[in-house]
Formats: sequence, C-alpha cells, structure tokens
Amino acid sequence: MPNINFYYLAQETISNLKMIFNSSDVPFVRLSKFLDLDSVGYNSELVEDEKIGYFKRKKGPAVLEDFWKSAEFIEFLQDATGLNPKFSAANHLSYSAGDYSLLHMEESEPKRLAVVYDFTKKWRLEWGGNDLYFSPEKEHLICNRDYGSLMIVKLEEGDLSCTRYVSLKSKYSAKMDFITYEL
Amino acid sequence: MRETEKIPKLIQSPFPHVIVKNFLDEQTLDLVTYALAGLEYEFDDSDLFNYLSFGLTDVDHPVINILRDDLGDENWRGKIAKKFGVKQLSKIDMSAYVYGLGSFLLPHDDQVEGRIIAYSLHLTDVEISEDMGGALHLYEADNTGKSKLVKSIIPEYNSLIMFEVSDKSWHQVGEVLEDIQRLTVTGWYHA
Repeated sequence: MPNINFYYLAQETISNLKMIFNSSDVPFVRLSKFLDLDSVGYNSELVEDEKIGYFKRKKGPAVLEDFWKSAEFIEFLQDATGLNPKFSAANHLSYSAGDYSLLHMEESEPKRLAVVYDFTKKWRLEWGGNDLYFSPEKEHLICNRDYGSLMIVKLEEGDLSCTRYVSLKSKYSAKMDFITYEL
Repeated sequence: MRETEKIPKLIQSPFPHVIVKNFLDEQTLDLVTYALAGLEYEFDDSDLFNYLSFGLTDVDHPVINILRDDLGDENWRGKIAKKFGVKQLSKIDMSAYVYGLGSFLLPHDDQVEGRIIAYSLHLTDVEISEDMGGALHLYEADNTGKSKLVKSIIPEYNSLIMFEVSDKSWHQVGEVLEDIQRLTVTGWYHA
C-alpha cells in the first residue's frame, strides 16, 4: 500500500487542513502529491460504462481500493475534515476523447464525502475533463486535472458532481479513483 | 420568404426526422445571415454544452420577423403537423447558436413539456466536411442507456432539419474541430 506524504501527517498541517476544509462554502480541500507514489500498475480491468445523457466512460475497480478502505486513510479523513466518514464505494474511472458525465442523476444522492485521486498524466487544460461539483445556490467548484492530487469534498443531499466532456483532440485519458464515504 | 413549400418524406430511423433543403429564398437568406451576424451573442458554457447563443423568440426586427413567419406561420406549421402526424402546432420559439472551435452539445433528448417538433435551420456559409466536426449526430439507445450512433447529418447551408421530440430522440452536436462558425437558428414547435 502507498504511504501518505509525511507532510500531510504533521499535526500542524492536519489542523490547517481542517480549518481550510470547514471554512469553504462547499467544504473541500485539495492536496497535491498526496501519496509517495511514482507510478501504479493498472491491473484494473475497465469496461465501457454508458447511460446516454448521463455519462460515457470506462469503469473498473479502484486501483488503490485497499488503501481507500484502510483505517489509516479513514483516520486521516476524520482528522482533516472533522467528520466521521464510512467507506461506501470506490471505482476507477477513465474518460477518453468524447467521454463525459453530466450534472444530474436519476436519484438524489445522500450527504457524502467524495474523494478523487488523480492518475491523469500529460494533461492539457483545453482538453476539458475537469471535475465539477455543484451545490444549489453556491459557487461551482472546478477542479482541473493534476496527477497525484487528492480532492476531498463534502456534498450535501442533492449536490452533484461530474467530469466534463473530454475533447476529441485529447491524446490521453483522464483517470481517477473516485471514492465515496457515507456521513 | 420560403423557397420550398414541400416537406420530403420522413426518415424513420433512429426516430422520425426530415431534411428540407433550400428552405429560404436567396434574398431572405442574405438578409437573415446579415441580421444574425450583427447580434451580440452570449457565451454559454455548462457540463452539457459550449456555444454562443442569442434568443430570437421575442426580438422585434424586420428580418427576424420574416424568418419567424417563414419558420412558424400557420400554413407551414400545418404542413409539419400533417407530415409528422402530430396534433396542431401552436407556436415556435427560436434562438441563434454559433458553434466555434471546441464547441459541442452532448447527447440529450430535448424532452421538455410542450415541445413536439425540434428544428434547426443551418446557415453556415462554408462547406462543412465530416472531419471539421459540428455534425448533428442521431443515436438510438437500448434500455440500459448504451448508445449507437445511427446517423450523422453534416450541416448544409440553408437546410432545415426537423425531428419529433420523444424519449427516443437522442442527439448531439459533435465538437467543432476547426476554426469555423457553425451558425444555426434552432428551436421547437410547441403543442
């Protein structure tokens, strides 16, 4: 299993993260170079995942599924957010040229903590594929692709998230582990 | 004024649609494209789309009024209703859209209460080829939501595309891949 970058485990850092997380309109924090991980073997078998008008992408088991379930990481989440998250689901998602997900679901999702770890390399901003978090009557949160960064965002019931359309000019895929925790 | 009064036979796959070529006469076409070029478009960007738009439904402008009549007068609405086999169409709404490099509109079915027939009048005065993007893609979807591209309609100057709005009318505008301005006047015929 990978290790959390030692910087993020320092008590002062944790205190700062908790303060930052809870000071935002939509509580979030983004941590670059979160893991001491240079590369990961993609053993995850991805399959086409499409529901027209909702999403089109590839999906498989999370690359770091054991880590996202681990007591070490869940304890880190508790310390950094002040919440009490319980592991719910983890998937690896890959968005290639022409893929997308949209800001609507068939059923409202409950209050949750969403965690996204970015495996995307060599990305260009104009290819799109950024993550969007939407909460009614609040500013959108936009999160551009950044290899190795971890996004933690608290979403209320009915809040939505998506990965925006990836341009047909994209030469690579936007890849991420997407994990949700019940609150 | 309309150049064409006849609506060709409907194409049924993947859902009922039709393309009316040479819709406007040359003089009206020139006036309309000139009027549309003078509008101040708004940039719209969301998870679903990226384009410039300008609402025309309530605009009082001599040329736009003529265009609104050509697209939506009682005679033409009657022909459309008869062709598609739908009840009387009461009114239209319309907006102008410009898709430039990188613009797109992702798959959706257009279903909103009152919309019966969707239309799009293509006014791009350059020949668009498939590799430039901007085609109207028509899909069929199975009951799991998996889609299959059935048809790509490459925008042709002065052609009017119409299709019946239903839970089957999945379509998108493909990303524009070159530095062109794909101009359309688009909207719906309402119940």
